Amino acid sequence: MTTSASPTLAGRTEQPVPAEQDHDRRRFRLRRPSAWHLVLIPISFILLFPFYLMVVTSLQTEAQTRRFPPLLTPPTPQWSNYAEALNAAPFVRFMVNSAVVALIIVAGNLVLCSIAGYAFARLRFAGRGLVFGLIMATLMVPFQVTMIPEFLIVKWLGTNVWDQLGIDHLGALVLPTLATAFGIFFLRQFFLTVPIELEEAARMDGTSRLGVLFKIVLPLSLPALSTVAAITFLDAWNSFLWPLIVINTESHMTLPLGLTTFQGSHDTHWELLMAGNVFSLVPMLLVFFVAQRYFVRSVAATGLKG
Amino acid sequence: MVRRLSRSEHAVGWAFVSPAVLIIGIFGLLPILWSLLLSFQKSDLLTPQTPWVGLQNYKQIPGDGTFRLAIEHTIIYTALFVPCTMLVGLVIAAALNRKVRGISIYRTAAYVTMAVSTINEALVFMWLFEPSFGVVNAGLQAVGLPQQQWLSDPNEALYVIVAMTVWGWTGFAVVIYLAALQGVPQDLQDAASIDGAKRFTIFRTITFPLLSPATLFLAVWLSINALQLFDEVYLTTRGGPLYSTTVIVYYLYDQAFQQFNAGYAAALAYVLFMVIIVITFIQFRVGNRFVHYNR
Amino acid sequence: MKRSGLVAMATSAVVAVLVLAGCGAGGSSSGKTTITVWEGYTDVEGNAFHQLVNDFNSSQKNTHVNVLETNNDYALQKVLTAVRGGTPPDIAYLYGSWAPNVAKIPSVVDLSSVVKKPSVNWQDFYPGERAVTTVNGKVIGMPALVDNLAIVYNKSLFNKAGIAPPSPTWTWDDFRAAAKKLTDPATKQYGWSYAADASEDTVWRWEAMLWEAGGEILNANNTKAAFNSPQGLQAMTMLKDMAVDDKSVYVDTTNSKYMDLFNSNKIGMLVTGPWDLSSIHVPYGVQIMPTFAGSPAGHQSISGPDNWVVFNNGDAQTKAAETFLTWLTAPAQIKTFSLATGDLPTRASVGNDQAVVEQMNKKLPGLKTFIENLKNVKQARPQVTSYPQISQSLGNSIVGVLLGKMTPQQALSQSAAATNQALATQ
Repeated sequence: MTTSASPTLAGRTEQPVPAEQDHDRRRFRLRRPSAWHLVLIPISFILLFPFYLMVVTSLQTEAQTRRFPPLLTPPTPQWSNYAEALNAAPFVRFMVNSAVVALIIVAGNLVLCSIAGYAFARLRFAGRGLVFGLIMATLMVPFQVTMIPEFLIVKWLGTNVWDQLGIDHLGALVLPTLATAFGIFFLRQFFLTVPIELEEAARMDGTSRLGVLFKIVLPLSLPALSTVAAITFLDAWNSFLWPLIVINTESHMTLPLGLTTFQGSHDTHWELLMAGNVFSLVPMLLVFFVAQRYFVRSVAATGLKG
Repeated sequence: MVRRLSRSEHAVGWAFVSPAVLIIGIFGLLPILWSLLLSFQKSDLLTPQTPWVGLQNYKQIPGDGTFRLAIEHTIIYTALFVPCTMLVGLVIAAALNRKVRGISIYRTAAYVTMAVSTINEALVFMWLFEPSFGVVNAGLQAVGLPQQQWLSDPNEALYVIVAMTVWGWTGFAVVIYLAALQGVPQDLQDAASIDGAKRFTIFRTITFPLLSPATLFLAVWLSINALQLFDEVYLTTRGGPLYSTTVIVYYLYDQAFQQFNAGYAAALAYVLFMVIIVITFIQFRVGNRFVHYNR
Repeated sequence: MKRSGLVAMATSAVVAVLVLAGCGAGGSSSGKTTITVWEGYTDVEGNAFHQLVNDFNSSQKNTHVNVLETNNDYALQKVLTAVRGGTPPDIAYLYGSWAPNVAKIPSVVDLSSVVKKPSVNWQDFYPGERAVTTVNGKVIGMPALVDNLAIVYNKSLFNKAGIAPPSPTWTWDDFRAAAKKLTDPATKQYGWSYAADASEDTVWRWEAMLWEAGGEILNANNTKAAFNSPQGLQAMTMLKDMAVDDKSVYVDTTNSKYMDLFNSNKIGMLVTGPWDLSSIHVPYGVQIMPTFAGSPAGHQSISGPDNWVVFNNGDAQTKAAETFLTWLTAPAQIKTFSLATGDLPTRASVGNDQAVVEQMNKKLPGLKTFIENLKNVKQARPQVTSYPQISQSLGNSIVGVLLGKMTPQQALSQSAAATNQALATQ
């Protein structure tokens, strides 16, 4: 147990790098480019390779894609593939749909999982352990098995509660993952490391539990929240099988469904499919880029660093 | 000091968790219960008649040779995948944990692996490991080693899938460990090195133990996912060649949607569920002995 | 971000979407019956189909057809889920191999009375298609697609090797010899590529060979395997001879590379269907499959027809669906569709129309051979519900033989045992 408050929390606004700074700052200026580049460049190359191939394929002609081994550079970059891909189906519509679905799911998770995660971390109530266990249990059964009952439930809700919740409507896409075990588990771990003294002090002052959560804990939890946001966004954006089952109208389709336009049973237009995939990746990379500042610093205090 | 919780404390607690629990309960737990019921019925998902057959589906399992193979493959796969991913993630995170110019570019490279879809991952690896024209065999040839059949060889295909998924999950492990590494107090490390300890010793005795909570989290998370491997198998080998990459969830999917044996598939899912619960429980138990939390 | 900000964002997002989405899927409006069709056409086929649907819609006052494009491989999962949930489409495009099981779904409409109508001219559809639409006397669909297998070969590789290209009188021994000559380990060139992912793709090619050898898949009343016979052995041994002894076969276990390799001049011959022709960018030729010397069965090919299946969503919907399908599968529409897409005509009257055949062949050379090859499709795969299990067993056995892990006899015995068990318990 550290004697000072966790070094990754309050007061930490500069670069999320440990304090080798003073020691290294002098050395850094005098140093040649770090030898670490020799390690990092090959590693990055390996990690980025499939993405690179995607981009290369998206710039080839159909004939060029039908080669094996594949070409590593596009001989005649076909920027028009992007235009053609976007015109093949209403992709802008699909992207808007995906964005709306993903944003609602992220917002829902941030709110619901924060509240629940805090309760599991700090509040004591009958059945807490059991309920937490049940929530974790939902991670342990594959989707292929739960797919059909989930469909039946959503259909029932649509007919008996509110039709916006039913098949082929936004509610069906959004509701089932509005709160996830991942969000709850992750945030619980994080909240466990927030100095409890701060919370106790606020309680003594008469702040309600909810107030403590929103005024004390959450502001210190920006990193964890952005992690949950980024990963939840990724999962929602890439979700394929569930939307495939519940969506019956083309104008309601999300991006992954739209991309199957390029995949016939026998003939796939790789160049267009890859263009579509790259197009789909861009928002995710944007989200990562924005979240990155908090992202990296985040998990540090999820109880994951000790 | 132990005191009984007042009713209002229970109420507050439940009020906080209710919205999330309601959603997860309806869309997560109810389907699981429904599937449990299905596992006691004979169903092909086609005819509405699903006669109750009690434990018959479960009784078929011990005699199912293919399921036994699936279990074997899943365990081998998990035992390789989890430690490899954690190790690779740790090493890369350590390398990324430097104040080097352009570090954010390298970090983005790690994140990209999480964002690239499984189908692209599959395509690339099928190409890399292609026996006649792939890069890996070309490399082996260059250093004089014999060519392998990789995904066409029943003895090797599973290991190629391990490689493929380790690549796919590295980004996730890197992110977790990177953040965890940054939380390791520098003063402890400096004190040790002033005392003359070597870098690796510092890492082994100070840094790594402080990373143990992250290690536990990753072990649990990766195991739960590894035991449910499906997408990569579906996109490349479809369980072959000769069942060598048939894993539990792939077999289950095949039973439900290709052989029209949904009741049996549900029973298989329950066996898997029990296995995952047991393994996770053991991991937490072991973890509690070795993991150092902040408080 | 403060909580109030999040809540505000979430609320406005929801409102925005509700407005945008203009929620609510169709439904019939004032007297018009709307039916939905789920299909997995892409690209050229998709455009042609949409065009036909538009033509139909503009000609009809009382019926409107909506189309949802899904993915054929996932279609069954989507349909099964929808059926289970009580919300099936009116018409769905489903693979023929699923037919015996699809027939078990109660809401599938029996079209027997429809196809008996003289205007439909049921006999005009090729026998292979009619066999796949009919399960235990019930007609569960209208033919949507027909194809068959033939040799597609790389002309330049044949020229380079100085071999005469495949001819209609070829036997499998000739095929084997050519494949051997076309194989060159130094340049990693193979004579033949076989789809070896153990799926039905692996199986149906061998079944065509089995039929050519004079064998049968199952016995007359579909109660036992019949492929474990001298003819089955002959067909299986031919595969082993080529793949294991001659090493002239590229065993494509992921079933994804053969077209790219063919286009890179690494494969001499394929046994495949008309759907691959439009992806070929090297000079090619098409020839019917070889026969087994001395076999009474002569030329045989195999077809993989698919079905338009109708689900019962009420009398009005069913009537409308039947009207649409009858129109869609009429000779005029089949002619239009085939000419536009290069898909083989599903009716013999169109297939025998030389003008159509020539036009199609001009657009995509080789189609003429495929259309004429439809006459060689004399049998169909057995319509039994346990066919998926039989297929899986045979698929793995064939791959075992191709990889040299099993002898042909072992493969046949093993699969025969599994088949008999599956048939007994179905």
